[in-house]
Amino acid sequence: MAVANDLSQVLASVQATPTGPTLRALFAERDRLTRDTGHYYGVTELTLRDADPIKYERFYNKLHAAVLAARESARFVAASPGSREMGECLWGITTPEGDTLAVSLGFLSHTAIFPVAVRYMANNDYDVNDGIEDGDVYAVSDGKTGGVPHPGDFYSFVPICVEGEIVGWAVGINHLMENGAPVAGSWATFSVDTFMDGLVCPPMRTGRKLKQESWWKAIWERRTRASTMNILDDKMRLAGCAMIHHATHQLIDEFGVQYYKRAIREVIEESRRMIVDNMRALMVPGLYNGCAFRLVKYAGLQNVWSHANKNTLIHIRASVEPNENGLLLDTEGSSRWGYHSYNATPGGVDCAVFLGMINSFAHNTKVTAGIELAVQRHYAYGSIYNPDYEFTSNANLWAQTVSVNSIGFNAVSRAAFARGYLEEAFTVDGNWGAFQGAGTTADGSSYGFTNFEWLGGTGRGAWCFKDGEPLVWAAWSQIATIGDAEEFESCVPPLFYLGRKLLPGYFGYGKYRGGPGNSAVHWCVQPGKHIALTRPNGGLSCTASVGLGMSGAYPGPGSFMISARGTNLPELIAEGETPRDARELLKQIDAGRLTVKNLEIWKTDCPELALKDHDLFVDAAGSSGGWGDPLDRDPALVIKDLDDGMAPQYEFVSRMHGVVAVQDASGIWQLDAAATTAKRAGLRRQRLAESMPAEAWWHAERTKVLSKDMFPEVHEMYAQSLSFAKFDGEFRRFWQVPTNFAFERE
Amino acid sequence: MTDDSGISKELIAQLIAGQIDDDNATRLQRLPRKDKDRFFKYIEVLQQRAPWPEQILLRLGDKLFVVRNARNERVVKCECGTEFGDYRQNWKLACRIRTRRTLPEMLEVYDPEPACPEPGWQEIREFFCPDCATQHAVEVVAPGYPIVFEMLPDLDKFYRDYLDRPLPDEAPTWYADHTEVVTRTWATRVH
Repeated sequence: MAVANDLSQVLASVQATPTGPTLRALFAERDRLTRDTGHYYGVTELTLRDADPIKYERFYNKLHAAVLAARESARFVAASPGSREMGECLWGITTPEGDTLAVSLGFLSHTAIFPVAVRYMANNDYDVNDGIEDGDVYAVSDGKTGGVPHPGDFYSFVPICVEGEIVGWAVGINHLMENGAPVAGSWATFSVDTFMDGLVCPPMRTGRKLKQESWWKAIWERRTRASTMNILDDKMRLAGCAMIHHATHQLIDEFGVQYYKRAIREVIEESRRMIVDNMRALMVPGLYNGCAFRLVKYAGLQNVWSHANKNTLIHIRASVEPNENGLLLDTEGSSRWGYHSYNATPGGVDCAVFLGMINSFAHNTKVTAGIELAVQRHYAYGSIYNPDYEFTSNANLWAQTVSVNSIGFNAVSRAAFARGYLEEAFTVDGNWGAFQGAGTTADGSSYGFTNFEWLGGTGRGAWCFKDGEPLVWAAWSQIATIGDAEEFESCVPPLFYLGRKLLPGYFGYGKYRGGPGNSAVHWCVQPGKHIALTRPNGGLSCTASVGLGMSGAYPGPGSFMISARGTNLPELIAEGETPRDARELLKQIDAGRLTVKNLEIWKTDCPELALKDHDLFVDAAGSSGGWGDPLDRDPALVIKDLDDGMAPQYEFVSRMHGVVAVQDASGIWQLDAAATTAKRAGLRRQRLAESMPAEAWWHAERTKVLSKDMFPEVHEMYAQSLSFAKFDGEFRRFWQVPTNFAFERE
Repeated sequence: MTDDSGISKELIAQLIAGQIDDDNATRLQRLPRKDKDRFFKYIEVLQQRAPWPEQILLRLGDKLFVVRNARNERVVKCECGTEFGDYRQNWKLACRIRTRRTLPEMLEVYDPEPACPEPGWQEIREFFCPDCATQHAVEVVAPGYPIVFEMLPDLDKFYRDYLDRPLPDEAPTWYADHTEVVTRTWATRVH
């Protein structure tokens, strides 16, 4: 594909001021025709495709090649490892209304936000009042007006105008290293409202003629802590957009604008049809339910903002129901929004929901806005997914919205399993981790950072026919990679890796186990004047990643971290035995070898942790769930895990899987088949002895429910979720509570 | 594997048994379109493996099925033969339940210790077949949480519209959640 190779060539493609239909009029027409006909923009026949399919596919491939080339070239402009090396970026081309036509590799579901930002511009007459011109540059990082999942993700929009009309947008996105919130990093974990979320931009013009204004550079320099990287990332996004802008103009020159206008609508309608067809081919109609929880422990930490000084147990509830036009995903019954950083907006939760939907149903067609038409969403107004307060913080919604994706994705897995497409049936988890912060070196240089490693690659949940794999899974990107340790060390001068590895035994157990999660030990050396960090995290270990295991297996455990401050590490270094992961660290502490003055294990968000020389920060994340009854696991697989070190405690797996083995003289585990059979029979008897019939269980639990015998935060969770009719009905029908029974809201 | 449009029953049996090799699994995953006749071949293989004669209508879990029983009812059935009742009622309500509420109890199923869910905020529920003790489901949820009905299939729509083979007893009333029939009955009994 030809790309612009010098600035004059790029600038020559910039066209005159648009004078075509307004964006508002385009949206009205799009919405009316789509609603009235059930087909995108009223395209009932794919006339261009049917008349000349080769020309049509050639047209699309040129569009697709433009966005692929944009990523593969522009990311080398970036300095941040997440964008250059990993999957933390994306480029796309859209219709005038922001509907996606093609996307590059990278975090694919961000296509969902494009129309949100453009619709906001349309509804607020950006094109009428200010004018939108070919090659303008818009910045977007606001959830409410831009649909952005969290402001650490930053977007550049470049309009493409032809003959006085907006005909498309080139869009570039990446996850910033630092976005200038009170909590340093890119997910401001302790934000109370949007004013603490850092650099939050509603759609705003920051440049013209494919060039940013000078003031925009000053914003990065003065309002973020990683300006060098952020400026280069900004240039990266724009460079890619400029390539797409140029390529699209060339495409229109070649095919003609009338062909282009018709073809872009056919492309979306074609993929919508294919996706609906795929849903029909893979799903079983019916109703699928799932749930998850995410604990927010702010009590005692938010004394300045007293209204936020409380704990919250976020309830994530979703159902999936296939229908004639695709499927409906409904989150009604989930918690209400709160004064914490985990609130979403419809665009933000879309961004999570579409991960599984695109992966499951757009694998054999063009990745376009067709998926958004096929997946109908209901986010109840007032809920955490559609707040009735305009200033909610959206700083770290990814820490819980990935569970909505997991619920939807697992519904697809259940359906594939029921239909016999077992090769598609696996356990989906969204457990991820990262850490972030800021520091100042001895010479006074300040920096901010995010280490994305456990966001880049996690364990994949078990398949229904084999164990899950380590590190290969990143639901938000096709490019699962944890990045180079050296890159992250260069970004955070005082932190060095003592270890970076899989964490044995850290997964959900089942007939097939999940892929193990990861753990790293970060060693602080000569921190200069200051370094402190926090950790965001999708699913901290106070709760499991998702509420339901698959077919009798345990869901993957959540992530956790350990701060070990004031250590005798130099002594261990001298002896050459430093810890490499969380398990080794705890073992060395228990053995008295590693001494720690201030040891803290964090199963929920940690507040800012300042580190000194030889302090350690240790994390574990990226675990995944199992599939099937653990007592049905092939004993040979248990033995293999023991021999490989993946099962670090014999007593634990012996009880979990009912396997009896002994280690021979060379340390190899040998199965005792007869004893295993007997142990399994015994464990089954024990299950029956330690359990009770569901009716007896129900009566006992109902008594507690009626007396509201539960933690206040659990009580408040029910109060919020029962304020929505759907979950209220389910709760009342299940527990048969009196009509006047209610959980009082705080 | 025969070809993309004709996946053999032997291969399906290997998938079910967890014995498929990675190359074949990958080939199946890369099919541009799924083989339409997979479902009925799958049911045939499952039926051959089942130790009972009832017709399998759908597989819900490794050892859990919706079948048509001798009384022509659509019920959930364990591989061991135990029936869990009308498939429109959440089958978990026919299980025995073990609940892990304390840290020592949770430490038996999550490892290492910091990975354990937090007692009080969460509890672990294990759902067993009352006869063979197979663990059919696990929930990690807040105390007081209604037992989750994971999947209520619309069998008639599935067989008629998705598979083009309508069930002989199809009726609009089949697709409805009847779980409350169970809980309402329980509420009338003193315990």
